[in-house]
Amino acid sequence: MSQEHIALFMFASMMLMLFSGQRVFGAIGAIAAIAAIALWGTGGQDIPFSAAMKLMKWYPLLTLPMFIFMGYVLSESRLADDLYRMFHVWFGNVSGGLAMGTIGLMVLISAMNGLSVAGMAIGATIALPELLRRGYDKTMVTGVVQAGSSLGILVPPSVVLVLYAMIARQPVGQLWLAGVVPGLMMAAMFVIYIWIRCRINPALGPIADDLADVTREEKIRLLGAGALPLIIFASMMVPFVNGWTSLVESSAIGALAALAASILKRRMTWEVFYRCTKQTLGISCMFMWIILAALGFGAVFDGLGAVKAIEGLFTEQLGLSPWMILILMQLSFILMGTFLDDTAMLVIVAPLYVPLVGALGFDLIWYGVLYTITTQIAYMTPPFGYNLFLMKAMAPPEIGLRDIYRSILPFVLVMVLALIVIMAFPDIALWLPHLVYGT
Amino acid sequence: MKAILKFIDIVDGINLRIGKVAMFGLFALMAVLLWSSVSKTFFTPSLWTLETAQFIMVGYYMLGGPYSILMGSNVRMDLFYGNWSLRRKATIDSLTVLFLIFYLGVMFYGALGSTAYSLGYWGTAPFEFFAGLITGAEEIGRMERSSTAWRPYIWPVKAVMTLGLFLMLLQALSELCKDIARLQGHDIPEVKE
Repeated sequence: MSQEHIALFMFASMMLMLFSGQRVFGAIGAIAAIAAIALWGTGGQDIPFSAAMKLMKWYPLLTLPMFIFMGYVLSESRLADDLYRMFHVWFGNVSGGLAMGTIGLMVLISAMNGLSVAGMAIGATIALPELLRRGYDKTMVTGVVQAGSSLGILVPPSVVLVLYAMIARQPVGQLWLAGVVPGLMMAAMFVIYIWIRCRINPALGPIADDLADVTREEKIRLLGAGALPLIIFASMMVPFVNGWTSLVESSAIGALAALAASILKRRMTWEVFYRCTKQTLGISCMFMWIILAALGFGAVFDGLGAVKAIEGLFTEQLGLSPWMILILMQLSFILMGTFLDDTAMLVIVAPLYVPLVGALGFDLIWYGVLYTITTQIAYMTPPFGYNLFLMKAMAPPEIGLRDIYRSILPFVLVMVLALIVIMAFPDIALWLPHLVYGT
Repeated sequence: MKAILKFIDIVDGINLRIGKVAMFGLFALMAVLLWSSVSKTFFTPSLWTLETAQFIMVGYYMLGGPYSILMGSNVRMDLFYGNWSLRRKATIDSLTVLFLIFYLGVMFYGALGSTAYSLGYWGTAPFEFFAGLITGAEEIGRMERSSTAWRPYIWPVKAVMTLGLFLMLLQALSELCKDIARLQGHDIPEVKE
């Protein structure tokens, strides 16, 4: 068998294993171990374990449990209640204002944690019931919460970008900064979309009528709630950007700040604390073991020289231009996302695509942003998106899977538009990292 | 059958307890990293913090891994799996879990070899080396150190990894036993916390 055939065979058997429903890390790891031993015999058996040593030495990974813990503290201790109330009184008197405010809420939550799960939990349990009670259109607001929570992995801190950084061997700090402007741009595009919809049909987002008796003092006081995420964000980012602490140390400060805030607000009980700690272990282990298996898989793939072979296939045999290949890759990525488990996709697709993108001469920081947005789209596209099922589990019972599917389409289109804009104008992503770090 | 149920009970019990301790490793990690930032800002930077944090992290997910299996945190691709009956799930799982066991077995063997290396054994038969250590036929050689300024010995963290992988292996075997028991008509919950 030629090397391309072995690579293809490995990929196919891994897919088959994944479809069997075995734990994802077991499926990936087993194929890697079998291939390593079959290809290299004695000595090959050390490849899966050496991935564990590689993982240990890759220190930005230490941020992972910190950001996951932060997210759980925020959602489980209901720290975001006041935050929602702030957006409520400030935006409620505009048509569709509460939906726009929810996007704002999601941006702030994204700045305090690295996954989309926390945003989803807060959006579905705090914002969504309130929006429904006020007669907002069910389909629209379901989409708002899902689209908004997906910002969690683009606005720093972002766990997905940390994982990408590991695979692409790029600095995490630059990647995070690169995500800022595109994230805010996408949030703005969501807001504009909501504004236009409500402009055309005001019944979608009725004006809140109970805000007349909210006094000016009350409004100002609630602005204080908005300061909380900014303080947590600043406690983490200021020392990091100034170079006083490393990324990893900042993440610990951030986790502690979130914990301290929830204690000061008297929202942290032993049960909540225990639940956060336990769930952090579960999710961190899930990520770690998948990364571990995927690193082993990647090592075998690298050993085969599979990337060179695929690149040769595209550029020489098919005669495609680099841009054509890039666009094809994004399309295949979204397509795969509709039927592949998203965590698996995250760690399988990146080792395959990222070296190819580098070999084609594109900027890997810029591609990190494209990659993250594409992952977000894949997270949300039916029939298989992690977010869709999570949403069903967390949303009020009157929202069915059908509503969720329908709600997502316009927002996915907005995100595809954002993706195209960033592809056409790479400076949207690269301007801020260049400004801070110099070129 | 009785022995199988007993085995499940013992393994799950051990891993549950270890996991509930390991999950608080998060705060040890946090403390080390905070000390690292404090010492860096106000005193002379510590040499040992980053590596210590990495070692804690390894212990955290290696020893916590079996508990995450018990909690059912490890994602599966449930495109088809999600719609299957319990019996069908147990049948397919009892076959595919063999792959998981194989993977963990290879990892465990690699970890043993690597630990033996860190204790100064450069041969290819780690089992004999450890047996020899007990009987006195083998001796601990030149111990491997990390290549940083702090230069800690590497063997403790490798030993923890080996232990973690062994526990993972036991847990995977326990999952296999659960599937067998389910096929025999025993009612076993999917999640234990």
